Amino acid sequence: MTGTVLENLSGRKLAVLISFLLLCQLVCFLIGGLVAPMPANAQNILGTVCKDTTKVKNDTTKWFYNRGKGKCESVDLAQSDLSETDIVFAFQMPTPRESETFDYSRWQQNLIGVLQMDIRYHSQMEIKPHSTLVIDARLAYRNKDDPDDGWKLYTQSVEKRVLDCDIEIKSEDYLYNCTAMPLFELGSLYHDYYLLNIRLPVDKPDMNTHIGHVQDMWVTVINQNGGFTKVWLSLKTIFFPGIVGILIWFWHRIHLLQRKPVLLEEMLLTLGIALCILDLPIEYLTLLFDLPFMLLLSDIRQGFFYASLFSFWVVFAGEHMLIQEVKTKNSLKKYWKHLSAVILGCVSLFIFDMCERGIQLRNPFYSIWVTELGTNLALSFIILAGISTGMYFMFLSFMIWQVFINISKKRQSLPAMCSVRRLHYEGIIYRFKFLMLATMICAAMTVIGFILGQVAEGQWKWNDNIELEYTSAFFTGVYGMWNIYIFALLVLYAPSHKRWPANETNADTQILSEEIEFNRLPIERSEISSLTSFINKATVD
Amino acid sequence: MGLQDFETWSNFSFTRKSCSTSRGLTAHQRRICRRHLDHMPTVSGGVRMGIEECKHQFRSRRWNCSIREGGPVFGALTLIASRETAFTHAIMSAGISLAISRSCSDGRISSCGCSTATRPKHLHSDWVWGGCAENLEYGYKFAEGFVDVRERERKVKRGSLEQGRQLMNRHNNEAGRRAVIKLSRVTCKCHGVSGSCSLITFWHQLASFREIGDYLREKYDSATEVSVSRRGKLRVGNPGFGVPTALDLVYLEESPNYCLKNETLGSLGTTGRECTRTSNGVESCTILCCGRGYNTKKMVTKERCECKFHWCCQVECNTCVKTEEIYTCK
Repeated sequence: MTGTVLENLSGRKLAVLISFLLLCQLVCFLIGGLVAPMPANAQNILGTVCKDTTKVKNDTTKWFYNRGKGKCESVDLAQSDLSETDIVFAFQMPTPRESETFDYSRWQQNLIGVLQMDIRYHSQMEIKPHSTLVIDARLAYRNKDDPDDGWKLYTQSVEKRVLDCDIEIKSEDYLYNCTAMPLFELGSLYHDYYLLNIRLPVDKPDMNTHIGHVQDMWVTVINQNGGFTKVWLSLKTIFFPGIVGILIWFWHRIHLLQRKPVLLEEMLLTLGIALCILDLPIEYLTLLFDLPFMLLLSDIRQGFFYASLFSFWVVFAGEHMLIQEVKTKNSLKKYWKHLSAVILGCVSLFIFDMCERGIQLRNPFYSIWVTELGTNLALSFIILAGISTGMYFMFLSFMIWQVFINISKKRQSLPAMCSVRRLHYEGIIYRFKFLMLATMICAAMTVIGFILGQVAEGQWKWNDNIELEYTSAFFTGVYGMWNIYIFALLVLYAPSHKRWPANETNADTQILSEEIEFNRLPIERSEISSLTSFINKATVD
Repeated sequence: MGLQDFETWSNFSFTRKSCSTSRGLTAHQRRICRRHLDHMPTVSGGVRMGIEECKHQFRSRRWNCSIREGGPVFGALTLIASRETAFTHAIMSAGISLAISRSCSDGRISSCGCSTATRPKHLHSDWVWGGCAENLEYGYKFAEGFVDVRERERKVKRGSLEQGRQLMNRHNNEAGRRAVIKLSRVTCKCHGVSGSCSLITFWHQLASFREIGDYLREKYDSATEVSVSRRGKLRVGNPGFGVPTALDLVYLEESPNYCLKNETLGSLGTTGRECTRTSNGVESCTILCCGRGYNTKKMVTKERCECKFHWCCQVECNTCVKTEEIYTCK
């Protein structure tokens, strides 16, 4: 082999390819910005206080709701003399609009509930910071064909939450500023209507006694927007066959060679497979089946993709080191330091995810952040992941720095080399610089986009004149960008058919006529060593 | 909406007929009333909330947000475009805006708008596609449409005092609605990959009406006097003051003397009002009684004290007996 497609592509062809890819990138961005709506939508639901007159409170066939036939008797909390056990906060979702009863569509994918308490300040009963709130939460579902009272139990749990409230101006009738508490997460939105019944039990004498004067209870439900899912899935549906196709082509190219694939090519293949898994539009199945593990699965797919991308970068930098140690086998073992940082980071994030979203498969109300132990555990996993990411980037930057030093060293000796060897090194340097540039641009775009997104999201948009949906554009743009990046890598770093020009008739033509990879054959190694000795000689002189 | 209508409004009965018979409504408001009949109990509740808050805020001032019970609907206060009028407009507008937002949130009003545009044809698919706007936004927009339409429908001469009144009322209505938004707290939830903040969703949490009332009272204290220019715009009267923002209150005329009873100006006077002897503020007897002096009366009161609350509705209190001196203005 004489090199990759990248070096052998004429300037014009490369320009055409790159402009085509950039056009694809622009299209991805514009689809997100102009076609897709916001990624997620939040609906604020104020709890209706219902009077529970039943004797048995743990009957899960009795449901309280505020709309439709058989609705509950709603009471005003301020003017009632009910006992705590008779009070149920009912949240029927989704709320109606324009006199129409909406139902959830399976396109909306998932549902996340956040609980907020409106607690009124009273000088005689200031609430202590970090009081524990105990809630008895029951979630029911109903489908379109069911009668109004046909609620069926989905899940039920008694949960603890930490009530974190403060108040700036201590004045009667002001509300505490309480942080929002995560309440539940449903990985699939399979049914049409959901109903949440919350009770604040007082089974033990010290239960729910330090939570102050609860005035209102709000649940904010966040679901992915159907339009966003549609655009996202269409993107995946388009990308998936493209990536699979190019992967097959890439592997075919390698098999045409008379040598075994080198490490870098294997890494590229792994990266391609990881992207294929990420692109696989299995979300279509959620339209037919109830698949609550979808959130977890998409996390895992994303994690696997990042892990292979990070590993690829390390290997790529390492393979372009331009220094050949004697008798090195190019295997992953050489990179154990770097890769263990990647693996450690990914594994700790995976464990964290399993602890949070994994358990949520069984109990949607579960949260790891509630207990002291859980918080510490979660934090330690996240910090571990953060440290390993930091370590990884340190290793990577060090490696890249080394490569650049080697490159500048080689540069000086390039004019003195024979033409084939010069072409060879120039090829390596060019390949490396090209990838560095592309990676830097992609990474910078991702980071800049993310920061801009945070700034833009933080402001409340009053005028809906802005046609561009920034967050969605960011998501589709970045997603498209990494797809295009890897597509380009697979195309440009595949082995080339072309040979170096035949008119370079000198002593090295013999080597050229064979399919060699410069860092595998012994003859190449001797070449390198002669080169290094040459450099040494030059420096001595 | 003028102050004269508040009483009518807070006792509104909700049939299609009452939309046309109620004296407090203008033609356009009647139309909105008929179209959004289910909003009207909430609007009325918002107005009542506004009146109560106004009375609370001004309980110890010379003007105590007096709305004469049972009197003629057209009170005299509206003749004067004073600070007080500015405040009442703002607090009513805020009350309606807040009440509508709340009612949409618990599904009490089922006809709350989904988007800001006119009712779309394929509503359900639109909702699935991109979701609905926040209730706070709907409350704001509805209050704007319903309250401000009053100031728009009558054609008046440009640059006249009447036009000034319309502009002033609209400005103050807007200030009230903006206060609801300004005091709402933005809350967010990260729900990206593994719960990271790569995806954040924001929403607004409504403030308590007392907080809004206090905020608007501060705005009342720092209200700016404006006049209407010949071109039909509001202009700051004293060039030394800054230009008021959309959050500030403006007024056209100085307040009347609320010390004396003056039916034509809408002042009830301060005779018989309770005052505090020891303080130096507006509630002190020196200021409130306008130098007329005060009567002292000794009273024994029973008060609930040392209360213990359970989370919901049980309040255990002791009863304390206190002897108090009560001062009333002569």
